[in-house]
Amino acid sequence: MQGAGVISPLRPAADRPGREPSVPPHGDATWRLLDERDEWLEFSRPAGAQGSLWESSVVFEGMHCAACAVTIEQALRATPGVREADISAASHRGRVVWEEGVTRPSDWMQAVLRTGYRPLPAHDAFASERRQAETRRMLWRLGVAGVCMMQVMMYATPTYLATPGEIEPDLINLLRWAQWVLSIPVVLFSCQPFFRNALLDLKLRRVSMDLPVALGMLITFVVSSLGTFEPDGLFGREVYFDSLTMFVFFLLTGRWLELRLRDRTAGALEALMHRLPDSVLRRTGAGDWERVSVRRVRVADVLQVLPGEVFPADGTVLRGRTSADEALLTGESTPLSRGEGEQVIAGSHNLTAPVEMRVEQVGQDTRYAQIVALMAQASTSKPQIALLADRLAKPFLVFVLLAAGLACAWWWSSDPGHALMIAVAILVVTCPCALSLATPAAMLASAGALARQGVLVRRLTALETLSTVDTVVFDKTGTLTRDAFVLEQVRLRDGVDRAQALALAAALGQGSLHPVSRALAQAAQDEGVDAVSVADLQEVMGQGVAARRDGAGALHGPLRLGSAAFCGVRAMDGGGPVSHLSDAAGWVASFELREDLRPDARAAVQALHAAGVRTRLLSGDRPEAVRRVGQLAGIDDVQGACLPDDKLARMRQAQAEGATVAMVGDGLNDGPVLAGADVSFAFGRAVPLARAQADFVVLGERLALIPGAFVQARRTMRVVRQNLGWAVAYNVVGVPLAMAGWMSPWAAGLGMACSSLLVVVNALRLASARPAPDQVH
Amino acid sequence: MDILYLLIPLSVVLVFFILAALWWAIYRGQFDDVEREGERIFEHD
Repeated sequence: MQGAGVISPLRPAADRPGREPSVPPHGDATWRLLDERDEWLEFSRPAGAQGSLWESSVVFEGMHCAACAVTIEQALRATPGVREADISAASHRGRVVWEEGVTRPSDWMQAVLRTGYRPLPAHDAFASERRQAETRRMLWRLGVAGVCMMQVMMYATPTYLATPGEIEPDLINLLRWAQWVLSIPVVLFSCQPFFRNALLDLKLRRVSMDLPVALGMLITFVVSSLGTFEPDGLFGREVYFDSLTMFVFFLLTGRWLELRLRDRTAGALEALMHRLPDSVLRRTGAGDWERVSVRRVRVADVLQVLPGEVFPADGTVLRGRTSADEALLTGESTPLSRGEGEQVIAGSHNLTAPVEMRVEQVGQDTRYAQIVALMAQASTSKPQIALLADRLAKPFLVFVLLAAGLACAWWWSSDPGHALMIAVAILVVTCPCALSLATPAAMLASAGALARQGVLVRRLTALETLSTVDTVVFDKTGTLTRDAFVLEQVRLRDGVDRAQALALAAALGQGSLHPVSRALAQAAQDEGVDAVSVADLQEVMGQGVAARRDGAGALHGPLRLGSAAFCGVRAMDGGGPVSHLSDAAGWVASFELREDLRPDARAAVQALHAAGVRTRLLSGDRPEAVRRVGQLAGIDDVQGACLPDDKLARMRQAQAEGATVAMVGDGLNDGPVLAGADVSFAFGRAVPLARAQADFVVLGERLALIPGAFVQARRTMRVVRQNLGWAVAYNVVGVPLAMAGWMSPWAAGLGMACSSLLVVVNALRLASARPAPDQVH
Repeated sequence: MDILYLLIPLSVVLVFFILAALWWAIYRGQFDDVEREGERIFEHD
């Protein structure tokens, strides 16, 4: 049992956050958090009438084919208490029906884990259900329009083909009636979204592309109906039901494709949300720390928040001093120091040291609210080029409405029916949708394609910037090299043995997410050394960890673990990174670690060079080690011994010289640098902080994804430019043609739908992304 | 040609039947996951 106030180094090793923040290893207590009713209700619902059967919605990671689905289904069905298991190989999702009391979610999830796949609760199950309902309704609207359009066309064909007088007038009337009857479901049902949006626009006094379209539909239907029932009336006897149904069908096809595209992208982005419940250490009545789900945190609880974690609730710091990043909440970009008695806000990141806090206010679903905010932030930041298109679209629509009114007035005196149809043609032929779709369609398609490869785009705007990047700055540890180190050698002061040194190093390193600290803690655990208790643990970003050990004599008092400068000892040479341990008397031990270059680092750097991008390596590590890694990877420009401030300064300097810089880092030491770069990648199993700040999050361990993202960004911008060019050219040609009366409404509808479709299809080319160069998997 | 006066209204009715069939197919989920059926051949049992 730990004394109150002493930061416990004795958390179970499996609980230590780090390797993958939201991903604890097998058998972890985190899985059992799912057994709480509050947690599984999030992704389950009652199945059947008995009340003890639940249907859970699950996403599986690591699945790649139908055979995987069969394996998982078998594993699930073999678990007692699981009634049904149904997995779709295409969507990597499944539903599991299980009996409460007989089994628990963690039981069958671990059964799946043992087969080598990772199940995750699908928190978006309800969202995807809503999306499915929407897709079905859209498809149904499209189907109605399509079937009716075909049949209306059949009825219209005879009147086009026959010479006047060849068909009896009664029969012609009957054909018109039939067309009218089949147009009604199209107008009343299929056109609904256009009418609804147009009404909304009118109410809000704004203009969008639905307004002219709805106006065109309404006018065409009224004129044609009058032509059918009152052939001798003001608008003559012409009917345009075929044109009407056709352009509704084309428009809906465009919308439907758009919807599909959006769903696919949304699906990929929502994959971010499939996660185990966020958990936090809470002090029990007995003074121990237990890991509980954030949902169970109550007011007056005492929590321990580790560096890299998010404060789950508002509260006061009880013990320890750290810096907190509240950028997401307040926009304050410099980390703020938070000590005893000071307030911390839910959703801000703990950056440097473990602290204890007393909960004062519990935000409902804090983490969720935060993710939602992040997503909203990503989608509200519009690329420059899209902003330009939006600014153009609105006056353009006003111009179109005016042009249609003028043209109608001009032609009215000769033939009111014809005049109205010209107005309709103008309303319909203009295609602001192509203009405003051009950019988002391409960017969303690209984001979806990248997400499928494992690169999450946090800010769509970043794709635009990425296409112009000419310099890539890499961090070394955890980025070019694997983030896990192995302890190679320990050098000791006389009178200190290896176990003692390791016990101290583990105590200092335990609370830190830095790879070196993690390696030392791991080494201590492997050798069966228990960490000792220390207090006042404080991490200095990029330099080391300091703490105090109560007691007298050597190896007590103030302790430091980290770089030579931080510990105040002489630097020493070695093959890999070296971490030093010092006490009040000075040097105690040096730990030499070994790190490995990622196997695909060289290929990735070469691919970047081939794309005309300069590469730089900025690292806080010793120059020799950095040079070695840089040479192995083939990087242009290598700079070692950079403090975080130096990195930022060097990057700023490059930017001042006109370079557009992308930063690739694992995010522990380079948070500010990531934020300062034009575009940032959080790579590897970065701490959550980096994920929150970077524009792109690379999941997994493949560096090759980064040149892949470059290629994709450039392709995206090429497609955007094509789309915008096409949209502008089409409107410049189409509108004058329609105003001159050379375009019938059906041709206008066809033109507009084709224009929108062309833009969407062009964007869809991006969705079928070529796989990133995959030399090493 | 008088038969047309019967056939044309009948064809309108037929369209409504086709629509009903389409409605059934869409809302039974026939188009929800069009890839899965093609992959069935890879499954063992």
